[in-house]
Amino acid sequence: MKIKKKHWWTLLLVMVLVGSLLAGCGSPAEPAEPAEPAEPAEPAEPAEPAESGDQVVITVAAGAVGQELELTQKAAEMYMDQNPNVLVNVLDTPDLAQDRLGLYLQFFEAQSAEVDVYQIDVIWPGDLAEHFVDLYDFGAADVVDEHFPAIVENNTVDGRLVAIPWFTDAGLLYYRTDLLEKYNFEPPATWDELEEQASVIQEGERAEGNPDFVGFVWQGNAYEGLTCDALEWIASNDGGTIISPEGMITINNANAIEIIDQAAGWVGTISPSGVTGMGEEDSRAVWQGGNAAFMRNWPYAYSLGHADDSAIKGLFDVSPLPAGKSGEGAATLGGWQLAVSRYSNNPEIAAEVALFMAGYDAQKMRAVEGSLNPTIMSLYEDAEVLEASPFFGSLYDVFINAVARPSTATAPNYNAVSTAFFRSVHSVLTGSIDAATAFEELELDLQDITGFDIQ
Amino acid sequence: MSNDKRSGRSELAKREERTAYRLLLPALIILLVIAVYPLGQVFYTSFTNRQFASGQETEFIGFDNYQRLLSVTISQLPPVIDEDTNQPVIDEETGKTVYERPISVLPREPVRYREYKQFSFMGNRYVLGATDVDFIDAITNTLIFTVTSVFLELALGLGVALVVNSNFKGKGVTRTAMLIPWAVITVVSARMWEWMLAPNRTGLFNTMLYTLGLADGRVAFLASGQLQLWAMVAVDVWKTTPFMALLLLAGLQTIPDELYEAAAIDGAGPVKQFFSITFPLLKPAMAVALIFRTLDALRVFDVFQVLLGQSQYSMATYNYFQLIGNRNMGLASAIGVVIFIIIFGFAIAYIKMLGVDMDETA
Repeated sequence: MKIKKKHWWTLLLVMVLVGSLLAGCGSPAEPAEPAEPAEPAEPAEPAEPAESGDQVVITVAAGAVGQELELTQKAAEMYMDQNPNVLVNVLDTPDLAQDRLGLYLQFFEAQSAEVDVYQIDVIWPGDLAEHFVDLYDFGAADVVDEHFPAIVENNTVDGRLVAIPWFTDAGLLYYRTDLLEKYNFEPPATWDELEEQASVIQEGERAEGNPDFVGFVWQGNAYEGLTCDALEWIASNDGGTIISPEGMITINNANAIEIIDQAAGWVGTISPSGVTGMGEEDSRAVWQGGNAAFMRNWPYAYSLGHADDSAIKGLFDVSPLPAGKSGEGAATLGGWQLAVSRYSNNPEIAAEVALFMAGYDAQKMRAVEGSLNPTIMSLYEDAEVLEASPFFGSLYDVFINAVARPSTATAPNYNAVSTAFFRSVHSVLTGSIDAATAFEELELDLQDITGFDIQ
Repeated sequence: MSNDKRSGRSELAKREERTAYRLLLPALIILLVIAVYPLGQVFYTSFTNRQFASGQETEFIGFDNYQRLLSVTISQLPPVIDEDTNQPVIDEETGKTVYERPISVLPREPVRYREYKQFSFMGNRYVLGATDVDFIDAITNTLIFTVTSVFLELALGLGVALVVNSNFKGKGVTRTAMLIPWAVITVVSARMWEWMLAPNRTGLFNTMLYTLGLADGRVAFLASGQLQLWAMVAVDVWKTTPFMALLLLAGLQTIPDELYEAAAIDGAGPVKQFFSITFPLLKPAMAVALIFRTLDALRVFDVFQVLLGQSQYSMATYNYFQLIGNRNMGLASAIGVVIFIIIFGFAIAYIKMLGVDMDETA
């Protein structure tokens, strides 16, 4: 009897111990911590503390890729100069989009009033609409016509404007003007040309004593960035957009398979094998150190590359991405919006902050200093903006015609769709499977997730 | 529990027992609130299709989540038959029989099975299919990670503990310095390792290998499938060996010096002393250290999340991905329960194997 009883106590104790160990990772009430705990950044300028009693504090959750954070803080300062009774805090959030989404979701699940304004990705409005106010209720109707209509439409869910466009993005090809001249090349118009040029330059530069030189860097880690890059390859090769806007699964086609297999051939040849672990900032580090001939990246890398501390200042330019079979390059539509939380304690002021930050003056400052593409059309004709980033004018068509990811058609399952896609492409890039097999499987996965028909 | 016969106890003993229970009550309540309640909540949620951060209605769906996670099946792959000759097709290059592809053989209803592994048995070819290959991979990854990292930590930790247990000048400083890796926050040390493991010569390891002429300076430690898991093991061993060493050192300190002196007089050499005195007397401390580390390693999250993200999962990062990424709270809870059961199994196995008597500590 005694032994048995003892056993039960032991069992119970073990169970409770194990249970409390698990509380961190298993309990939905306390979701696991995000990978990079976001630390509230110092307020840009603490206003007079004496007034803090009636001062309204607005917190903006913003990105910190490149110089984003400084620019957001600067925009916050611009607002606070005009509105001394408001203190705008900028909250630094993780670089990788998924991590950022994870952090936001935890605020939403808790219906937290801690963050008032969220910087959200162009693919999120459909999924997150229920947590944001309708900006039309706060005077957005007056300014909305200044912005690109396609993005405004993207941000409108059931007639509600859930986010105001802040900056737009499209994938670009960065190339070294000095090296192309040295090896006598024109900027590549097709992927085949890029492959050839990259390999010639890589070989030449390595022979001349830079063993770290690589031909082409891009975003190959298993994350949303790879969805963007791979979508560009596929769309430029006439392979569709994974899932068509009408809700047909189109990914398993010969053109898509061909270009993904081609891209897998770059890994370890013109691109380092580590490219399958690279995000935007990793590829920019290689590029800006002067160790790559070509880079696929967003416009933000332009002004950073021309900064004084850059090894390639004045030695590079941008062009549209190369074309595949379709004869035209494709650029994935990116970009970020500002949305106001439904759980905010001061939605009016938060909306005012959001609309100010997405307004003409703040967007202009961000375009001039950070080469972040404005969403306000008239800024593309502004002399100061064009002087800082001449490609805004010459590549206007790229920004206008950027290819959207299938986030609207697949809402609210876009994240699952994208994860299945980039993991599938990633397994092809790392060589564990060929594209034909991978996409055959992926097509069925996507059907499971969305319930759509396969074309 | 010193008294065997309840009936024969005095009034005083009974009263004391009641007081003891009353004093235990606050601790019990705290345990109920912080451990049992959330755990029960997880169990309950695992039977629903609840969405995370969403206003959507939640429905009770029974064991569907578990079925989606854990179903496995084995199907035979028939050889491809040539329609003209009625003979199995032989691959001309490799000379091997061509079999049907798993994707066309594995069942798709009511849940779809994906290929996990192919194997041959008695001349036939089979495919092992699973409904959630990622989760099965996550379990395998975690188990491999746990076994190798805990084993290495034990071996290295024992070595370190034996060294710092001996008498030498600067013992105190060494003991403190030893603990530094353990004191660094895992997310921070993971970032540090990310830089050291960078896929080009900005990373320490690539520079070292390149300088020694062992590699081309472009080894992708964190991006290539074969190296990822070993990189994780390396980070964890570096970080947790000090902890292991600390626990073992505490055990070593309890072994009286007289035993060694007596053994030395009897002519036992250092090796004999280690296996006859140190090892057996260290066993209880080792058991505690092993349990701690194994249970901890099984729920590894931070290292995998920071360094590998979505490219390879541990059980806990897969749980996180399903909860946060896919907002699939019901399924994530089911994963939590499965992790719980696995860890529970390990804990029981340890207690049985190492003969730890929980009551003896009292």
